[in-house]
Amino acid sequence: MIRYALTRLVLLLLGLVVASVLIFVTLRVLPGDIAQMIAGVGSGPGQVEAIRERLGLDRPLAVQYVEWMSGVVRGDLGTSLLTGTPVATELLQKAEVTVPLGLLAMVIALLFSVPLGVASALRRGRADGTLITVGAQALAAVPVVWAGMMLVVVFAVWLGWLPAQGFPRAGWADPAAAWRALLLPAITIGIVEGAMLLRFVRSATLQAVGQDYVRAAAAKGLTRTQAMLRHGLPNVGLSVITVLGLQVAGIIVGAVVIEQLFSLPGIGRMLVLDVGQRDLPKVQGELLVLTGFVLVVGFAVDLFHRVIDPRQREAQ
Amino acid sequence: MLRRTSLATAVLMAGALALTACSAEQTPAPSTSAVADPNASVTLRMVAEPGNLDIRETAGAALDQLLIDNVYQGLVSRTPEQDIVPALASDYEVSDDGLTYTFTLREGVVFHDGQPLTPQDVVWSLTQVRDNPAFRDSERLAGMSAVTADGQTITITLSQPDSSFLWNLTGRAGLVLKEGDATDRKTAANGTGPFTLASWRQGDSVTLQRFDGYWGDPAGVGEVVFAYIPETQAALNAALAGEVDVVTGFDANLSEQIEANGDFAVEVGASTDKGTLAMNPAEGPLADVRVRQAIRQAIDNEAIVEALGAGQTQYGPIPELDPGHEDLSDVAPYDPDAARELLAEAGAEDIDLTLTIPSFYGTTVSQILVSNLHDVGVTLEVDAVEFSAWLTDVYMNRDYELSFVLHTEARDFENWADPEYYFGYDNPEVQELFAQSLAATDEAEAAELLAEAARIVSEDHAADWLYNGASVVAVGDSIAGMPTVNVNERLNLAEITKSEG
Repeated sequence: MIRYALTRLVLLLLGLVVASVLIFVTLRVLPGDIAQMIAGVGSGPGQVEAIRERLGLDRPLAVQYVEWMSGVVRGDLGTSLLTGTPVATELLQKAEVTVPLGLLAMVIALLFSVPLGVASALRRGRADGTLITVGAQALAAVPVVWAGMMLVVVFAVWLGWLPAQGFPRAGWADPAAAWRALLLPAITIGIVEGAMLLRFVRSATLQAVGQDYVRAAAAKGLTRTQAMLRHGLPNVGLSVITVLGLQVAGIIVGAVVIEQLFSLPGIGRMLVLDVGQRDLPKVQGELLVLTGFVLVVGFAVDLFHRVIDPRQREAQ
Repeated sequence: MLRRTSLATAVLMAGALALTACSAEQTPAPSTSAVADPNASVTLRMVAEPGNLDIRETAGAALDQLLIDNVYQGLVSRTPEQDIVPALASDYEVSDDGLTYTFTLREGVVFHDGQPLTPQDVVWSLTQVRDNPAFRDSERLAGMSAVTADGQTITITLSQPDSSFLWNLTGRAGLVLKEGDATDRKTAANGTGPFTLASWRQGDSVTLQRFDGYWGDPAGVGEVVFAYIPETQAALNAALAGEVDVVTGFDANLSEQIEANGDFAVEVGASTDKGTLAMNPAEGPLADVRVRQAIRQAIDNEAIVEALGAGQTQYGPIPELDPGHEDLSDVAPYDPDAARELLAEAGAEDIDLTLTIPSFYGTTVSQILVSNLHDVGVTLEVDAVEFSAWLTDVYMNRDYELSFVLHTEARDFENWADPEYYFGYDNPEVQELFAQSLAATDEAEAAELLAEAARIVSEDHAADWLYNGASVVAVGDSIAGMPTVNVNERLNLAEITKSEG
């Protein structure tokens, strides 16, 4: 078990190094640079050069990369060229919006996808089961942006129940207002991600229903539903956790889009603004953290599987 | 010649009212019982957030809108109607030869950190800007040979007359900061204006608070929030849900929607926004003036204005709000037949051209251009790019055929007299006229020379001015005193008020 964990950890670190090179190189391929953005329209080449030099952008790329990495190893993700703020500080601040948003979206996705997915599998072939399946197919095909706009029109503009955009300036000092601000965006991400999850839960449930152990339990006198709940669901749960781990990346991408749409000051919106401004040291720090997060989630899911699933332990 | 100016608020208000009279008539007059709440908080929707707050170095109108007049001030300022008015100077005089400017500095002015404004701060600020080429608009003070202080009197001496000098002092170059101030300008500000910079939540908003130590009339509200909401639809939703009081940079085509429930009125004011279709004359078919003229005559400028829902046509480099404006619609009227003939004459039938346009401008303008040019046999490929890519490829490297951006800067004719600018327009006659205009000590004469130069630029078909944009602002019914003219360039909010209830 420990050997397995160590192997996976080495792979994780290798993945991060490869990601750091990819991030660094692809960002440098983007046209435009921050010195030009600062100097803007009305500037001459002299001003742009002066700013480039002041920011240290005139040094060789390899030097800049090594400098970045040696900082990262020491726990310093870098600083914004525009504001001089450390990337870690900015990330922590924006995480106050994005992390609760992601968690809430995930909870919403689970809350409706698991019961409905199981129900639609158990009621396969009946009208209501088919209805759920068709509904999920339709929801999964809905673009996130459109779903968000519809929700805003109904709940913010028509009914006035929830804010149409933005996050309270007082932040979490007023938790009720903060959660209200996150609800519509979280539902938007949650229904789209949940619809995909629902289809997965349904097929995992269908598979479990056909398994010998469920039929054996039913033969011992349990109803089919009881047998499913007692013996089938733990297996379904295992698959759901795996998919959920994969969906973390989807939720992050969803947050980038949704934070734009709802003007939420989170990590996604910051990333879009920073790329637009070509604040590359900041963008690369942000991307590395996000990549690291997705990799760590994958790592955790793998370990969790190992711990919880006796078949995997014994196979070793 | 003696020039003395005082802030004639009444005259300005009358001008603003006249400009917005059409929309004002349709909206019910605010009830007289509405009482302005002096501690109100007003939220304005803004389109673009500045990258940082460094007024000295960082370009962009977003920073001018936020900080100039509201937080930072200079000796003089400008009104939305582009008149020059005193600010930190109580009055000023210009010598007959146009070489000496004498300002009387106000007494009792304090910075937001409590330090007093001294004449030496003015000397230091102006000298700093002139001597630091990395500072924005540094070259605008290049002709300043000396700046000295004697008591409250500041004297600036120029090496040669410059009719744009006082105007330049109303912009970034003239802002007065505290000598030796250690404030980190990238994230904070220490000025003398009616508002202090209270906080900046990056990716969200900037909050200004009334400065109680302000030398002039105190600001009409306790707090102003600049909420950065780039998406038009999100801005509309925020307005309809009552989350913002004013929507700037509004889309005039959505006026009916925002006015539907009677809480907002859309105000359309003049602006110096110039929708500029630059035509790179360096090489290719556009080097031929006949091809450039053909493109201008192929474009239906009135259709563009109509599609945008606001603004007016502009057929030369100088908009109506700026000195030197004249109606140049006769130079290249919409005439597809003439355009086809010109192209045939130039042997440029069935040419392909590429338009480089920053993607945030949307597709309204480029779609009309594609269709108009298609009519005369020109295939236009639209390359929508990020603004940073536009800056590097088009602005810096001049690697483009056609380019579109909205130039918001007032009085920027100088770019047509600078062959190094991205327009690549090089006409010694225009350069000479512009130099004469700068050297003129009489305003009317300076404007006449500019008009003459502008006509030549238009006759050379150096570009097409697709439209002169309007300031489109949706104002909530509890708000009064919101500027409506040229708000994309500057936005003085000292007089904005919000009524209770």
